[in-house]
Amino acid sequence: MEKAATASPSDHGNILVVDDDSEIRLLITKFLQRHGYHVHSSGDALGVLESLRRFTIDAIILDVMLPGTTGIEACRQIREASPVPVILLTARSEEDIRVSGLEGGADDYITKPFSPRELLARLRSVLRRSRGAGQTIEIVSKGRILFDGWNLDTLRRELTTPEGVLIDLSTGEYNLLVAFLEHANRVLSREMLMELAKTRTSDPFDRTIDVQISRLRRKLETSETTGQIIKTIRGAGYIFVPKVTFG
Amino acid sequence: MKTQPLRLLPDTIVMRAVMILIGALVAMSLVGYWVYRVGAEGLATTARDKGLAERIVSIKRAVSAIPDEIERDRAAHALATASLEVHWSKVSLVLGNAPVTERSRAMEVRLRELVPEFGTESFRVGYADDGALNAGEGDAYKHMLLVSVKLDDGTWLNFASPTFGTAHHMAGNILAIAAIVGSLIILIAILLLRWVTRPLRDLAIAAERFSLDEAREPVSELGPAEVRRAAKAFNTMGDRVRRLVSERTMALAAVSHDLRTPITRLRLRSEMLDDESTRNLIDDDLSEMEMMINSTLEYLSVGVAKEPPKAFDLATMLRTIVDGEADRGQPITLKGIEHAPVLGKPVAMKRAMWNIIGNALKYGNTATVHIKPDGAQVLVEVLDDGPGIPDAEFERVFEPFYRIENSRSRQTGGTGLGLTIAKSIIVEHGGTISLHNRQRGGLRVSVRLPVKLVETAMPGSGKCEDASTRQDHRNMRF
Repeated sequence: MEKAATASPSDHGNILVVDDDSEIRLLITKFLQRHGYHVHSSGDALGVLESLRRFTIDAIILDVMLPGTTGIEACRQIREASPVPVILLTARSEEDIRVSGLEGGADDYITKPFSPRELLARLRSVLRRSRGAGQTIEIVSKGRILFDGWNLDTLRRELTTPEGVLIDLSTGEYNLLVAFLEHANRVLSREMLMELAKTRTSDPFDRTIDVQISRLRRKLETSETTGQIIKTIRGAGYIFVPKVTFG
Repeated sequence: MKTQPLRLLPDTIVMRAVMILIGALVAMSLVGYWVYRVGAEGLATTARDKGLAERIVSIKRAVSAIPDEIERDRAAHALATASLEVHWSKVSLVLGNAPVTERSRAMEVRLRELVPEFGTESFRVGYADDGALNAGEGDAYKHMLLVSVKLDDGTWLNFASPTFGTAHHMAGNILAIAAIVGSLIILIAILLLRWVTRPLRDLAIAAERFSLDEAREPVSELGPAEVRRAAKAFNTMGDRVRRLVSERTMALAAVSHDLRTPITRLRLRSEMLDDESTRNLIDDDLSEMEMMINSTLEYLSVGVAKEPPKAFDLATMLRTIVDGEADRGQPITLKGIEHAPVLGKPVAMKRAMWNIIGNALKYGNTATVHIKPDGAQVLVEVLDDGPGIPDAEFERVFEPFYRIENSRSRQTGGTGLGLTIAKSIIVEHGGTISLHNRQRGGLRVSVRLPVKLVETAMPGSGKCEDASTRQDHRNMRF
């Protein structure tokens, strides 16, 4: 597969890498080229808008700790100029920066030091989603999603009960819930759910969709509401019942 | 350890000051009372004695003027009063050989001074109590001053006056007044002293609550000079401690941040390697480095991290951890309640729980997690099937960078910070963590956390109205 990728370098798209460390820039460039992407790179935020004008960019990998301007500011400028997907590179402890980056229009984030394979998976995911835009799959709304008094904060990835108690979700469960919320009141087959939920993760330990659904149900429901939030449709799949509002 | 000295003194500054005040007041009252007694009694005695002497002289003159003996006795009786008995007789009541005591001489001298006419008269002064009378008459004149004056014809006028002291009657009142005034002074003193020492109490409270968590309001530098100085010293010390800790934390954070770049580079470089086994080994080493950096940073950030407290469900948090470990093929199970809302820092608490569960899996082969209510607390127990740890190590395993001998091997790795971080976080949440060796082998870690939320915060409760709405949705859709 890698050989096929190197044979036709720009098959997968044009990626812009923005990082002030020239070694990392070079290494990410090499790594992405090996996996079939065409890569532009820039050492500062100024080069980003320039590159956006000159080339067709499919996705941007942006380090938030840039000299001169912050990555967050750069992210806002990018968003004003183009709807191109942005993946933020952040430090583990910078939750606030991460959240303001996502608010500023970034599509995903990955914490340094990251595994290159994880970066690749995230990149594929945002590309797939941006290319799928306007087709059958809708783009996630950013911010709060409400259902039945529950609140899902997609920037902080936090789910709270109607009583305001935070419910912990695994990445798989979170992705599944977002998939359900974006397609509420529609019957979703296992295959569709698997596809929808997988777009945001590369977790190799993902269980089958049925296990994930039963775990999600367990966290969402108490004995009196069992089976009322996510209903099983025999032979067809699942449906998310409550009314969902995006706020 | 310093032993507590036997406490004879009252404990607080206020009570000690009050004790000193009481001592001073009592001493002052005693001295004042004594001065008053001596002075007032002196005056009273002089005035009384002068009056007595004058009356003796005038009675003597009046009686001398009466020639008839019967008339003389009657006149003497008529002139007598309650404070001065007068009898006329042929003999002196006071014996000629009456003992001369100090007070009789003093009285004699005083009478002579006050009434110079007495200088020529022949008279005798004595006190009944001092044995100035015949033995038979002693009882009748008990506690009396006796004066016998010789008349011109050789007969005697005998005077007797009680040796009373007026001051004794006043003493009771004076003591009562002194006690009331003294109590009032002490009461006011207690209130004033409490007011004066309040900055000291505020300082102690500030010291107890001192934390690195946030830039707290400095202690107000008010009150007496000593307290102002202590408050100022405390504020300076607090700033210094905060600065020291933040500088060290920043230094470590900077180092670990700077390490991220080379680790990221190494990860990218190892990806270029064609030899997969070498690549995996390098990746493992890099993961271990990352883990060490992260756990050191977490250790430093406990209590300093700005994570805001929230209500979160401890049970679903454990569910996520346990499911994740089970998916990785670890022998782990979770039993107990489905929901356990608590108030705290969810990211920190997840780290604490993950560390404890991770330890059980690493050193104890398996992990069984129980979560159940325990009075006003929620109890989380993590049980394993490992060798357990010696009782002597129970406290030491919570010390930073401490590792039990057999866990130092390269296979298990670890930084010796896992339980330290877990304990710090749990204690920060007002909880406790304790270790026990199970009877059938293995270790039991018990974590108790206070449930700060009311029961109604349980998800699902109070949702009856919502249930009917949901029913409607379902009917509409199907």
